[in-house]
Amino acid sequence: MYNATSQEVPLGENGTEETPAIIRIDHLTKVFSSKTKTVTAVNDVSFEVKRGEIFGLLGSNGAGKSTLIRILTTLLSPTSGQAFVDDYDITKDQEKIRSIIGVCPQNYTSDLELTAYDNLEFYGKLQNVPDSLLPDRIMELLKMAGLADRAYMPVGTFSGGMKRKLEIVRAFIHRPLILFLDEPTIGLDPEARREVWQQIMMLNKEHTTIILTTHYMDEAEKLCGRITFVEHGRIIALDTMENLRKLIPAGDLIEIGVNHMDPRAEEAIRKVDLVNAVTVVEHNVTISATNGSQVIPSILTVFEKYEVPIISISIRSPSLEDIFIYLTGKGLDGGNGDGNEISGPGRRGPP
Amino acid sequence: MMPGILKSGVAIFRRDIKKFLSNPFIIIMTLLMPIMYLVVFGNAMGGTLTHIPVGVVQEVPPYNDTLLFTSAAYQLNHISQGSQSDAEKLLDVTIYTDEAQAKRDLADGKLSAVIVFPSLVSNDNAVRVYVDSSDSVTPSLVEGAINQVLQGLGAKNPIIVDKIYGDIKYIQFFGVGVIMMAIFSATSFGGGLALIKDRENGIHEGYLVTPIKRTSIIMGIIASGTVRAFIAGFTIFWIDLLVTGIILQSFQDFLLVLLVIFIACVGVTSLVVSFASRFSAQQEYQSVIAFFNLILFMTSGAFYPVIGMPGWLRWITLINPEYYGVHALRSILLRDQGLSVIGIDLIALLLFSMAMIILGVVTYRRTLE
Repeated sequence: MYNATSQEVPLGENGTEETPAIIRIDHLTKVFSSKTKTVTAVNDVSFEVKRGEIFGLLGSNGAGKSTLIRILTTLLSPTSGQAFVDDYDITKDQEKIRSIIGVCPQNYTSDLELTAYDNLEFYGKLQNVPDSLLPDRIMELLKMAGLADRAYMPVGTFSGGMKRKLEIVRAFIHRPLILFLDEPTIGLDPEARREVWQQIMMLNKEHTTIILTTHYMDEAEKLCGRITFVEHGRIIALDTMENLRKLIPAGDLIEIGVNHMDPRAEEAIRKVDLVNAVTVVEHNVTISATNGSQVIPSILTVFEKYEVPIISISIRSPSLEDIFIYLTGKGLDGGNGDGNEISGPGRRGPP
Repeated sequence: MMPGILKSGVAIFRRDIKKFLSNPFIIIMTLLMPIMYLVVFGNAMGGTLTHIPVGVVQEVPPYNDTLLFTSAAYQLNHISQGSQSDAEKLLDVTIYTDEAQAKRDLADGKLSAVIVFPSLVSNDNAVRVYVDSSDSVTPSLVEGAINQVLQGLGAKNPIIVDKIYGDIKYIQFFGVGVIMMAIFSATSFGGGLALIKDRENGIHEGYLVTPIKRTSIIMGIIASGTVRAFIAGFTIFWIDLLVTGIILQSFQDFLLVLLVIFIACVGVTSLVVSFASRFSAQQEYQSVIAFFNLILFMTSGAFYPVIGMPGWLRWITLINPEYYGVHALRSILLRDQGLSVIGIDLIALLLFSMAMIILGVVTYRRTLE
């Protein structure tokens, strides 16, 4: 169904309790079975997405993010459990759901031989946008994507960023209530990523709930109100960025560059008040400490005592990546851990 | 140690063999093709014509049957073809009392030949044979059979053969079939392959999340496939006329040809699309399509009259849209017959299309599973 005007939805602040849920997922499981093996891609997942928020699904490759999105967008049916998109049951009211969602899949799905205009027109017709409104809507979207001057060029001639922006506005052609973006900036250069981010924020301002999957921490930090970590098909954390930070017992991370680290100094730092952990990797000493700025003078004293010259020093709040590593014991891109490492704190956890 | 050139060669060999063995479906299809050629092609092409429907009639007056007529009719009906063990009747003889009626049935395609035996008062005692000459095999077989019977009876009557559609060359007989082949090729590359390429390239994933219905997808693809197939069929039709020298008899025939080509396109395209809707990989689809192309073309009667095929193969022709297409086009182009003859072909094609469209819609996967 095409909504000629934007929905009048009261926009609560992201993550606040008063906003009603637009997606409810209840013990959802998806198992893929073949002759040789069975893979549980989504494992007993339950959460809610609030109306108007940008919700981030974060996890490494193969964590189950795309499967979850495909279930919510009616492309796959769940093995068990329930999910509701704007009160419609994903196993019964697929047709209704398809008319209120916009989806930008991970892979490019535009027809490369057709022009940008033709691609948008095709989707506009599939989404039942009235013919009288369609040409204006297409030009509006092309302007939004900064592609107005390329409207009549085949999509095959577009750069990766241009194609991605076209796909995002295409998913928005019928002003959906909910926009699903599966890895929207994968493979894009930094500038193209920033442009896509701006576009996403702009669409969210039009009262669209946005669900995006990504394995880029900065992307989730920049865009999402609430973030959930997905690992091996399970939700391992879900909260606002601010609350997720509190999960790490060590409040701040102090990084000190040195030429050579004295083991005695390392031992002495561990004994300093409020210091939770010390890791030395080559010329880098990482100290996690509660209330880091207050601890720095005591640490500097230790370095002086053991005559270890300091090359650089920095203090920062833990990033989303640090939280992820803390929770899973592995980085998002690397994946040096295996299934056994999911539980239990990671290598930068408390000693 | 293995020299570099050999090592990399072996690496490529191993990779190819691994890929080959990992897809048993393709292996089976590759083996099936030559077997198909052996069984279907061998039977469809080399088969001996049997059960050729012929009408026999006695010239009047007098109104009672001559001895020549009754003996010849009996013997014609009992000529066998093939070896002793599985001998089949060459001719299926129907006795007519009205020469005009027999000729009408010949014109309508119900008979392949009408044999008129002379009356007692005939001047030249000639046996007149009117034979459907739209294929090159039947006339000589019928004429040979009559000669054999007359000799056996010791009758010295001359035979006058009238090839009712003139001397039709094999290329004219065969050319009509090529039109159907063009339709099949166009639609398997157009409608069917386009569908699978879209699925392979993920374009389907993009539009399956829109409210589009399965019926719309299948109908849309069949419609576009039909247009492509029609263009191909229509083009080859003109080329066929030029190459084989067939002359269209009337404007009405031209319109009928267009109608037949169009309906055949709908039939063949819906068959191909309904199959394509189940495949997700080009390679598998192509091997199946090559198989279909072969079996449908061979059993369409394009090469050789369907009547020459063994019974089991003729069953395939019953559900082969190309058979009805070839039959209808031949009826119009070579025999100048009209709707009364090709009507049944058109109905069969439409029923077939309808069944295939339903099959395509029902089997089309609306999800990615």
